[in-house]
Amino acid sequence: MADLTKANMRQTHPEQTEAAFDRPSQPLGCRWVVRLAVIFLVPLAGAGCGPTPEASFRLNLFEASAQRLKPSQEQQVATILAALFGTPDAPVVLPETGLDEAKLLLAAGPVRSDIVGRKNGLYREHCAHCHGVTGDGMGPTAAFLNPYPRDYRPGVFKFKSTERADKPTHEDLVLVLRNGLAGSSMPSFDLLSQAKIDALAEYVKYLSIRGEVELSLMRAYFELDDEDQGRLPETREFLIEEILLPVAESWQSAPDAVIDVPEMPADLDMVASIAKGKELFYGNKANCVKCHGVTGLGDGQANDYDDWNKVVVQAQKTVSGGVEQAAKASTWEMDSEELAEHEADLVWLERFGKVLDGNALRPRMIRPRNLRQGIYRGGMRPLDLYYRIHAGINGAPMPAAKGTVAPEDIWHIVNYVRSLPYDFNGTLGVDRPMAARDRL
Amino acid sequence: MRCRLVPGLIYMEELMTSNLFRSCLGATVCAVLAASVGCGAGSPVEGPKADVAAATALRASLAESSAAGGGEAEEQSQGTGWATLKGSFTFLGTPAAPKALVVDKDTEVCSKDGMKLYDQSLMVDGSTKGLANVVVFLRKSSRVKAEVPQEKLLFDQKNCEFMTPVFAARVGQPVSVKNSDPIGHNTNISGTSFNQLIPAGDSTVFTPGRETGLPVSVTCNIHPWMKAYAVFREDGYVAVSAADGSFTIPDLPAGEPLEFQVWHERSTGRSGALSLDRPELKWNAKGRFKITLKENEVRDLGALEVPADAISG
Repeated sequence: MADLTKANMRQTHPEQTEAAFDRPSQPLGCRWVVRLAVIFLVPLAGAGCGPTPEASFRLNLFEASAQRLKPSQEQQVATILAALFGTPDAPVVLPETGLDEAKLLLAAGPVRSDIVGRKNGLYREHCAHCHGVTGDGMGPTAAFLNPYPRDYRPGVFKFKSTERADKPTHEDLVLVLRNGLAGSSMPSFDLLSQAKIDALAEYVKYLSIRGEVELSLMRAYFELDDEDQGRLPETREFLIEEILLPVAESWQSAPDAVIDVPEMPADLDMVASIAKGKELFYGNKANCVKCHGVTGLGDGQANDYDDWNKVVVQAQKTVSGGVEQAAKASTWEMDSEELAEHEADLVWLERFGKVLDGNALRPRMIRPRNLRQGIYRGGMRPLDLYYRIHAGINGAPMPAAKGTVAPEDIWHIVNYVRSLPYDFNGTLGVDRPMAARDRL
Repeated sequence: MRCRLVPGLIYMEELMTSNLFRSCLGATVCAVLAASVGCGAGSPVEGPKADVAAATALRASLAESSAAGGGEAEEQSQGTGWATLKGSFTFLGTPAAPKALVVDKDTEVCSKDGMKLYDQSLMVDGSTKGLANVVVFLRKSSRVKAEVPQEKLLFDQKNCEFMTPVFAARVGQPVSVKNSDPIGHNTNISGTSFNQLIPAGDSTVFTPGRETGLPVSVTCNIHPWMKAYAVFREDGYVAVSAADGSFTIPDLPAGEPLEFQVWHERSTGRSGALSLDRPELKWNAKGRFKITLKENEVRDLGALEVPADAISG
């Protein structure tokens, strides 16, 4: 390329150089501005415009792949769910679910106001961007959050007042909505009216029941006999009584499973209780330090997953193990039947891999709570900490101390844990310099 | 109107006015924008959409049948009496040496005196080639002979490993989960929400409330290398093969077709289902075989040979 420096140009194109260099540079011509605008803006405009597509529930393709369902079986599950639960805009509430239809109608559907000015579509307005329209914890913002938003579909909730295996009560869900979860991205919705919060809690229950029914349906295919020819019976006996009712009843019986907490004695000697709690914390009945660390910083363990992420990790292992196994297969020795099976395996593995990539969040490890910060997700009342220690945390590795640690001892541990953010191993004034305001 | 840019770019100007260049530039810009807007780390797989007409029809039929009070009685050929099934699993391949587990916690107990812990997922008896820890259970039974046993089944853990790699219990039968170590453990039985701290030397009772479809894993969150499997069945017709590969299921309902499920932790079949080549038992790819027993019969299936390629690794 020719050397286009000013000095050089002077020699080769003297007549143009002076004029060009010395004239103030002109702005781009109008025509060019228009052309560039068209080139850049038309694709952007085209990408966004058009009527908003109707919201629809997403099938749990992860479970469908794990259960190795055929497309016809996936279609059957989608149809059954639409029959039992309706769509995001038009929920169907069967009386067996025990849900309140009026509350659901307030929460469901697109965001809109009725003639009186009452806001509808609360779930989509407040929740769907993180928790997803299907309640699968995979809304548009989910991938950017740590911890991930809750996936309601397995019907497992961490922070509640009931025994480990049981569902949360309505009040538990309302508390989470009111207070949010400190230390996570779940905000407080305390500014909403009680009616709206009740509606949202009911809709969460609806999505959770729907999700659990979906899982039960998909797992039921494995139990089919050959005579059923790969189709679930669409009878009332099977769909309502065998699949739906157990799920609905587990929600209805939650209030009976609330943990019975003995009152902490009012005249309890706090210092002694905290000392006893420290003994238990470090002891080998409660084993708290094994995960929460000898410093209480949550560094005792760092290689575990919560249940939602664990299934994804296991699925990834299944897929990579399966691919490895399939690669080792000696296809030349196979007869046509075995070859067909081998091909089917490969197709399944490929699709499962795609589902893990596009329909599941990247698995994240769960770390034991850093108890020195004084931030407790499920609430900071002593009662909340009692619930966590007694029943453990469902869905998380935190085990239940019930039966092993006596109730008074659990209170001692609660008092010790609450003192941890202020814990100071030394003598005030001697080992810790006085605060400037206290110095004279 | 010609744009008078710096003379050095006069060449560029000529290039930019050429139609070919402009269309290429436009196409590239559009493609880049489309790519950045559309692609993620993996675009979601589209699932099937519900068939609205079929869904409405199904809903109507479910509402109707509640009014009609449907439900046909299950006619199943019911025999009388009871029979016993037994057999012995043998492994035809050569098992690789078991891998040592990574023990990195509580090493003063778990690696005491340099003790190593080994993976127990494939246990083959040296002399008889018997394959241990194969689970055989009856899928559906019309009648059960024995009552739910009330004596506690022991499930112990010592030296930071579970003493029984695979155990079976009946729904309603109390299982005593014991900790014979000087350190604490927590036993987490997946699929049951039982995740309990067991202090050193202590035990707790777990009563399974629901049957499991296939064996579920039992782990310890404090010591992540610990692994066992548990299977709970409503009717209790389940057996786990012993160290020599043999199993017996007594008091099975005689005179009716029985379908059994076979499972092994390391099987290459779906979810661990173990399928063997025994066409007379109608053994299918889901690891199930069918058999009908006569009253008071003791049927010995003989040596159930497990080929090397049925076990992974």
